Amino acid sequence: MAVSPLVLPGAAEKGGPTAKSKLQSAAASSNGTPNAAQSSTEVNDVAEQMNEDEKAKYVKGKKLGEGTYANVYLGHISSSPSSLVAIKKIKVQQQYTEGMAPDAIRELKFLQELSHPNIISLISVFSSKDQNINLVLEFLPMGDLEMLIKDTSGVRYGMADIKAWMGMLSRAVWFCHENFVLHRDIKPNNLLIAADGEVKLADFGLARSFSDPYRLMTSTVITIWYRPPELLFGARQYSGAVDVWSVGLVFAELVIRVPYLQGINEVDQIAKLCMGVGTPTEENWPGVSKLPDYTVPAPPSPVMGIDHYLSMFGTVGQEGVDLLMKMLIMDPRRRITARQVLEHGWWSSDPRATKNEDLPKKGGGESKVAEDLGRRPGMVDDERAGKVARKLDFGGMR
Amino acid sequence: MTSSNIITEDDRYRTSTQFRLWSFTRDSLNAVRTTTNRLAADRVREAVRRAHEALSSADASDADLENPSRGVSAMPEREIDCLTVEEELRLVTFYCRQTLQLGDHLLFPTQVKTTAVQYIKRFYITNSLMTYDPATILRTALYFATKTENHYCKLTKFAEAIDKTRPEDVLASEFLLTQGLRFTFDVRHPFRALEGAVMEMNGIASGVIPYNTDVGERPQNMGRRVKTAHGKAREYLKTSALLTDVYFHYTPSQIMMATLLIADQELTHWYIASKIFLDDLAGHKILATLAECACMLQAIEPTVQAPPEERKAAGALSKKLKKCRNPEKIDLVALQRVKREGDGKVDEKIIKKRKLEREQSAKEGEDLFGPSLKNS
Repeated sequence: MAVSPLVLPGAAEKGGPTAKSKLQSAAASSNGTPNAAQSSTEVNDVAEQMNEDEKAKYVKGKKLGEGTYANVYLGHISSSPSSLVAIKKIKVQQQYTEGMAPDAIRELKFLQELSHPNIISLISVFSSKDQNINLVLEFLPMGDLEMLIKDTSGVRYGMADIKAWMGMLSRAVWFCHENFVLHRDIKPNNLLIAADGEVKLADFGLARSFSDPYRLMTSTVITIWYRPPELLFGARQYSGAVDVWSVGLVFAELVIRVPYLQGINEVDQIAKLCMGVGTPTEENWPGVSKLPDYTVPAPPSPVMGIDHYLSMFGTVGQEGVDLLMKMLIMDPRRRITARQVLEHGWWSSDPRATKNEDLPKKGGGESKVAEDLGRRPGMVDDERAGKVARKLDFGGMR
Repeated sequence: MTSSNIITEDDRYRTSTQFRLWSFTRDSLNAVRTTTNRLAADRVREAVRRAHEALSSADASDADLENPSRGVSAMPEREIDCLTVEEELRLVTFYCRQTLQLGDHLLFPTQVKTTAVQYIKRFYITNSLMTYDPATILRTALYFATKTENHYCKLTKFAEAIDKTRPEDVLASEFLLTQGLRFTFDVRHPFRALEGAVMEMNGIASGVIPYNTDVGERPQNMGRRVKTAHGKAREYLKTSALLTDVYFHYTPSQIMMATLLIADQELTHWYIASKIFLDDLAGHKILATLAECACMLQAIEPTVQAPPEERKAAGALSKKLKKCRNPEKIDLVALQRVKREGDGKVDEKIIKKRKLEREQSAKEGEDLFGPSLKNS
């Protein structure tokens, strides 16, 4: 529940004169009106009053960190100091002169709608007096999946743990698709971990609703290591299959603990894909050569078979390898869907997924919360520089 | 992953903001609108009183610059004739029509236009026309809908395409709009539902999709009737469904079914009966709900252009609105500047200058669609 149900605004002044003076004092603290004569007697609009009520429910604490896109603060619920929240204050972007920035709009639009245990929950939204928008998000202090993957000396985990994490990720992605939302930026550092071990899909700054037939979408989404071949070839009409490919690469990375296909740019990414998965051709993917940016290095490499995957990813077992291969089918029409992923035999085969409380942990702490929430969508961390996804090209979306 | 864990489509709709925040009973919606109207009217009277006080205490020469609106001196000091809830509603409908026409003029897709209209309707539940000028809000809503519906349009181009509009006019009320929308931007429309129903009926008509024979034979000439009904239902969805309050009271699928009922009652009854058993309490409830929704839809003609009487009434109401606008909320560009910079002292000269400029342009152009209105 992102916002409390509509409270009848009339209720605020039914209390008579005392309640009315409350309205006025709240207004004085929040409104810088043009001249002093006005602001002293200013009464809030109904909408402003609702915002003030929402804002009063939370206490903003210390700044946890500063990102390019947002600042993140620790906060708590006013009436319950032990209930921690993260408050993400969206920065007004100086270089963006067209009002509220698209990434903030996207994030707000979708987080308001999606409530699911494996999707970061937006508890509330309010604006502060400088008209900055504050997102009250659940506090996820345990870092993200990327931290766990990279800490090869400190964190050990096995097939049952991977199954637990993948299960939570797959349910989140299925839920997005079931609600006609494409996430378009699935990668390990957008998978945050709650205190109880639950994995939460975050960062909806690149998300969008499924397009209507014939309406085009941009192909420059998803951080390139996790970007599916149809997008690398410039497809402007696509489906949930793009997210499933990213899920497949997160799966592979959880096993080998390095990104499976690490291109340094889009051309190189295609080359890595051809070597690691196989070269997309008319034989294995009818119609692929008609995609606008279709170019592949010669000579074509064969599509990798089960032996290759077993040798590299065998620790997740036969069934696990089968699921991975289906997620990495190049032709998006044949790739497994999020729903079919959930119906796959791997989940019910032994070993069963680890219980949340027994999953390996690594305390991320408050600074990590800030880093996770303050990032700009579609980007990889600075240390992985040079492999940054192109910024959304809004001009090209028409 | 048992199927019992999978929530139903209805459950999911109930998690949407459209259901949680923007669905009302008729009484509760009326209560909010009444409060909004009353608060706004009080504030208009307050503001005008303040303006008069300022007028009488200042030099006559200075007063022109100090006071926010040229209208103030013309306003009667005591009894200002404010708009009623009913009048505000009729004007909102009129400006929603203007929004659709502006969207047509700019060749925006249906999704953008329809979302913009719902933004306006939602905004004016908790905001009054007397406080925020609908001609301004409609431009902002339409522009904002291009961003939320992925039909990106450059702000400068957008402003240029509309008469007497500067980019800052569009942006000045963007924040107000998002606040009035309670920061929820998703609108669930009935268009996809209609396409789905039509595809299924077409499938039944051509024999591709089997149907429940318990409900009798397919209606005669089903294919042709589906085609006609589709067109008519779509017309209602693009007009009456947006302009009435049905989005606040019914789900997208109910709205869709109601438009089909209006288009072809016999066909739609047969279709519904082939899917749900209607001869019980639940079935009667469904039909009654759809009938109520259809009735509400038929209160407004399915045309983008307002019928002449409506136009005439709106013209009179627009005139009335001009006399009861809150003078302190007219220059949104200056207000916005002050809010963003958080200091009342900044750029007073610029604010005054802008006010003069705006008054000038207001004199020249009246408002967005003003002239044609006055003629009627």
